[in-house]
Amino acid sequence: MKDSFATFHPIVNFIYFVVILLFSMIFMHPVFQVLALISAITYSIMLKGNSAIKFNLLYMSPLLLIMALMNPAFNHEGRTILFYLNNGNPITLESILFGVAAACMFVTIIIWFSCYNIVMTSDKFIYLFGKVLPALSLILSMVLRFVPRYVAQIKVISNAQKCVGRDISQGNILQRARNGITILSIMTTWALENAIETADSMKSRGYGLPNRTSFSIFRFDSRDRVVLMIMMGLTIMVVIGGAMGENTIRFFPSIRMVAMTPLSVVVYFAYFVLCMIPVIINVVEGMKWKSIQSKM
Amino acid sequence: MSDKQVAGKRLSRRTLLAAVLILIVIPATMMLGIFVLNDRKYYFISLLIVLYTMIPFAMVFEKRKPQARELIVIAVLTAIAVAGRGAFFMLPQFKPVVAIVIIAGVSLGAEAGFLVGAVTGFVSNFFFGQGPWTPWQMFCFGFIGFVAGILFEKGLLKKTKLSLCVFGGLATLLIYGGIINIGSLMMFTSQFSWQALLATYISGFWFDMVHAIATVVFLYFISQPMIEKLDRIKMKYGLIEK
Repeated sequence: MKDSFATFHPIVNFIYFVVILLFSMIFMHPVFQVLALISAITYSIMLKGNSAIKFNLLYMSPLLLIMALMNPAFNHEGRTILFYLNNGNPITLESILFGVAAACMFVTIIIWFSCYNIVMTSDKFIYLFGKVLPALSLILSMVLRFVPRYVAQIKVISNAQKCVGRDISQGNILQRARNGITILSIMTTWALENAIETADSMKSRGYGLPNRTSFSIFRFDSRDRVVLMIMMGLTIMVVIGGAMGENTIRFFPSIRMVAMTPLSVVVYFAYFVLCMIPVIINVVEGMKWKSIQSKM
Repeated sequence: MSDKQVAGKRLSRRTLLAAVLILIVIPATMMLGIFVLNDRKYYFISLLIVLYTMIPFAMVFEKRKPQARELIVIAVLTAIAVAGRGAFFMLPQFKPVVAIVIIAGVSLGAEAGFLVGAVTGFVSNFFFGQGPWTPWQMFCFGFIGFVAGILFEKGLLKKTKLSLCVFGGLATLLIYGGIINIGSLMMFTSQFSWQALLATYISGFWFDMVHAIATVVFLYFISQPMIEKLDRIKMKYGLIEK
């Protein structure tokens, strides 16, 4: 399935991920964590289908378990002592729960990043930072271009070497290794010479002169504005909720958090909608598509 | 004369920026962590500090409007490092990245070393997957490149095989291993304790050791030809010589 959220303007995608990642790193309140984890899993399944389910089950759940167990082994703070280890260190309920919370936070962040990797492709990143960091963005895009190019060039060199019996598939193991090094050496020389040629060509076409425009394929239109405004509004609500202590939790020496009130339900809801924005967009888009499809 | 003034200005601007970051922004971030976030968000705070340390390099580099030739040589070395990391994907930790970063630092200078390292960390994760570890890797690679450049300028590091291999092994083991393990501890536990740090160092020791050995092996085989090629290009086209 095509992801509609990824078709929005890169700035919308980027702000969404920055806000979500920051919130996921800061909030340890169980309700917030569960909401973020559910949204992250839903979105990752939407983006990657079965492979996301496999990834989450196969890697993320054991990771969660190990990390949850690791914390109480090192952390002995907390009031409710459950039992003592052989070396006399106490295992406390608080440290176990803190371990679970920290593990949950880490897993959520990893899953969010797996979504980020699909949505924020390198061209979007370069587009966003091209104005702020022009030279570094140029390096970035050149590197991304060079890698596949070098792989192709290595094949060319290796084929040429094969004609004179000096490929990595020819000779005994020592010769093969030596041939491999020669091929890499040829490659490096070619890459450097070629680079200077590219640079001179860039210069002669006016790189670095003032008043030059850059090509961009992205347009900021009204739907981007609407989504951005909604995101801002929800973020402000969550931040206000955070300032009022709705989403903080104290683990040590004893667990304490603010009692649930109607206001906290509002903050939870705002956070949930914020996390679910891409999923909601995808669902709405899917419904729109269904309704305009011809029903002949 | 005017060149010298520009250089002086540049240096002072970087120093000023670094001073502002170190003296004001980093302590303010720590205060934020202690008072607003109840001192439990080590990962978040340490991540911010790692990002701050990279800002002055990026700003200075952008400010001086580098030439196309300089940009592209950095891009080539980065691409080689990224491709090298990709080529050895089946051997965990056995990667040529640190070796290439050190070569870049030695032959192109400390700043170029930092950039090659940091950009390699960033770009290679487009192929391997971005994550909370990206800024740490960027910082570690960049820092090693920077240190290699500085030591070479001061004459403490030579372009000989022995000198480079010794430096490469130690830098990978102590700088990369030393910093990246703190990063992974912060990521995993968000609860700092010295025993946990020690445990992380011990459990990560063999990984760091393999990484260090890889750096030494790669430096042994590729350092001389690579440096020779870079020197040749620099001489042939008159690059980055002040």
